Amino acid sequence: MMDAINYFFISWVDPRLLMLTAAGTFAGIYIGAIPGLSVTMAVSILISFTFKWEVNSALALISGIYLGGVYGGSRSAILLNIPGAPSAIATGLDGYPLAKRGEAGTAIGLTTVVSVVGGFIGILALALAAPAVANLALKFAPRDYLMLAIWGILLVGSLSGGSLAKGIFAGALGVLIGSVGLDPMTAEARFTFGSLQLTAGISYVAAMIGFFGVAEVLCQLHELKLKAIKQNVSKILPSWSLLRKYMPLTLRTSTIGVVVGALPGAGGDIAALMAYDHAKRTVKNPSRPFGEGAYEGLVAPESANNAAVGGAYIPMLTLGIPGDAVTAVIIGAMYIHGLKPGPLLMVETPHLFWFIVGSLTLANIFLLVFGLSGIRLFAKIVETPKPILLPVILVLSAVGAYAINNNPVDVYWMLGFGVLGYFLKMYGFQVGPVILGMILGPMMDKSYRQAMISAEGNPVQFAGEFFTSPLSLVILIALVLTIASQSAWWKQLRGRA
Amino acid sequence: MAPLRYRLPGELTFLVVLLLASLFLLWTAYGISRFESLTSAGAFPMFATAVMVVCAVLILRDAARAKPTDGVAGESQVGQFVRRLTPPVVVGFTVAIALYMVLLQPLGFLLSSYLFLVASMALLGSRRWGLNLLVSAVVLAAIYVIFQTVFSVVLPSGTVLQGLFKGAAA
Repeated sequence: MMDAINYFFISWVDPRLLMLTAAGTFAGIYIGAIPGLSVTMAVSILISFTFKWEVNSALALISGIYLGGVYGGSRSAILLNIPGAPSAIATGLDGYPLAKRGEAGTAIGLTTVVSVVGGFIGILALALAAPAVANLALKFAPRDYLMLAIWGILLVGSLSGGSLAKGIFAGALGVLIGSVGLDPMTAEARFTFGSLQLTAGISYVAAMIGFFGVAEVLCQLHELKLKAIKQNVSKILPSWSLLRKYMPLTLRTSTIGVVVGALPGAGGDIAALMAYDHAKRTVKNPSRPFGEGAYEGLVAPESANNAAVGGAYIPMLTLGIPGDAVTAVIIGAMYIHGLKPGPLLMVETPHLFWFIVGSLTLANIFLLVFGLSGIRLFAKIVETPKPILLPVILVLSAVGAYAINNNPVDVYWMLGFGVLGYFLKMYGFQVGPVILGMILGPMMDKSYRQAMISAEGNPVQFAGEFFTSPLSLVILIALVLTIASQSAWWKQLRGRA
Repeated sequence: MAPLRYRLPGELTFLVVLLLASLFLLWTAYGISRFESLTSAGAFPMFATAVMVVCAVLILRDAARAKPTDGVAGESQVGQFVRRLTPPVVVGFTVAIALYMVLLQPLGFLLSSYLFLVASMALLGSRRWGLNLLVSAVVLAAIYVIFQTVFSVVLPSGTVLQGLFKGAAA
């Protein structure tokens, strides 16, 4: 116990780590807030820069950026009616009408406080649940990991809207990209087409930067002329009575955030939309009708998306399965630092777990400080015109892709994946499942083969084991329900009910 | 009844290309270890590529059933595709990125990035040249200092410039 407390406070007492967490949170708020810059993009680019650092520094910076970025998106949603991040889409629905009524300051203040409360609830859930989940995860068989990974990809594909077939296609494409190179078990070449370069595989950092950086920049070129409307900001600190009034809702929606965040594959954006929907259905007398500036419409998504951060860390640290696209990228960062997220991480390196919990807590405190200050400077920075911002993002992306191996070929891969990602996005595919597939692909391949070997290569026995183990059966049912819930047949059934 | 969906210009072509690529990859996956065993190196890639083929067929079927988007009167399919998906600014910026990447090694990070920043800012419609030149210089100086010192990233110094300096010194 004492050890855990010591590890928890490492980033609080080490001046360098303290500064990095603060810098990460501060940068995260701005990255999250600037439309066109996403947290996933920022973390993807950062991985390539921080891989030479010792692991604690990298994790402290990333924790800050993640937490700050999820919150930051709300500010531009309120002030400019442009969500800075997907998790702030629901925030703009009531945040912007509030700003138009001259209440932008109160809206930002309230959002900051409920985000911090949500963040703390998420971190608390992480601290309490992760050790238990990790213990349970030690009992998981390879086939369970295989199904969890498939479930994660399916959830990303289906919950974020759009066609399930497109989500699955994107996930399978990611698995395929992840399998390029020499097979780790037999050293046979896979999809190398005789190229020596490809035997080492495709750098997933280059792919991540391509899909999340370059593709996003190319998509943003369609909105170059979008003009932001400036708002007056005053009276940031929300009144105590206002906070007390919305605390029960904050607690409820934070719980939704934790649960949704902890589902493999579902992150802050889905948590925020579900929380908004919950508030809309359960709050009988909102301060104003939803969509016209209801405080409830701000409180629900903002507490939920920050609570989802702690939630998303649970499957990431205990099962090695990302909770959303950002945690998929963070898993990539952990692999680069020689760590293997999964149940053994908690057993072998408990200090790392408590260090992450401590850094997130610290970042959440910094969020309160930075969230309630510097609004004027903020307003100037988020208005950076896109013709200036987009080329800068591109240069950062190129440096990031180059830096990972000092290899110019990775920069070409980045551009290739960027162009592919652009067309995929334009035609309604999501790129999140591609990255999830890339990260999870090697693990799925290994788990599948281990499970098949333990079934002595007999497909009937292999299939039978999914039904004989209660744990496998539960995951299988969840998997089948996810697919079934997307079918036309299910939707017809619900329509009749 | 399924919700009415519109099909974007070029979508069918893109999906056919995806399907053909998926079929080719399935064939390549089959070539890794054929049907040797269920635990061979090619088994899982075959599964993944087979899933891609099935999904591509389903997506293509849905897209073929969808209504094409209404174009401007008299506009051809290619014209629509260019307007909606590859407007000049997207093509121009992509070409600028490709050129930047080609020049990164010979010209070095600083010079190639500066040229890219100034040119692409102008391309994207920022006509204030003085501001473009200044912002590019400041941003680049910041990136260079931060990444060289804080992140210890070794950025390309430029083979052409090195050659020139060496030539001048000799």
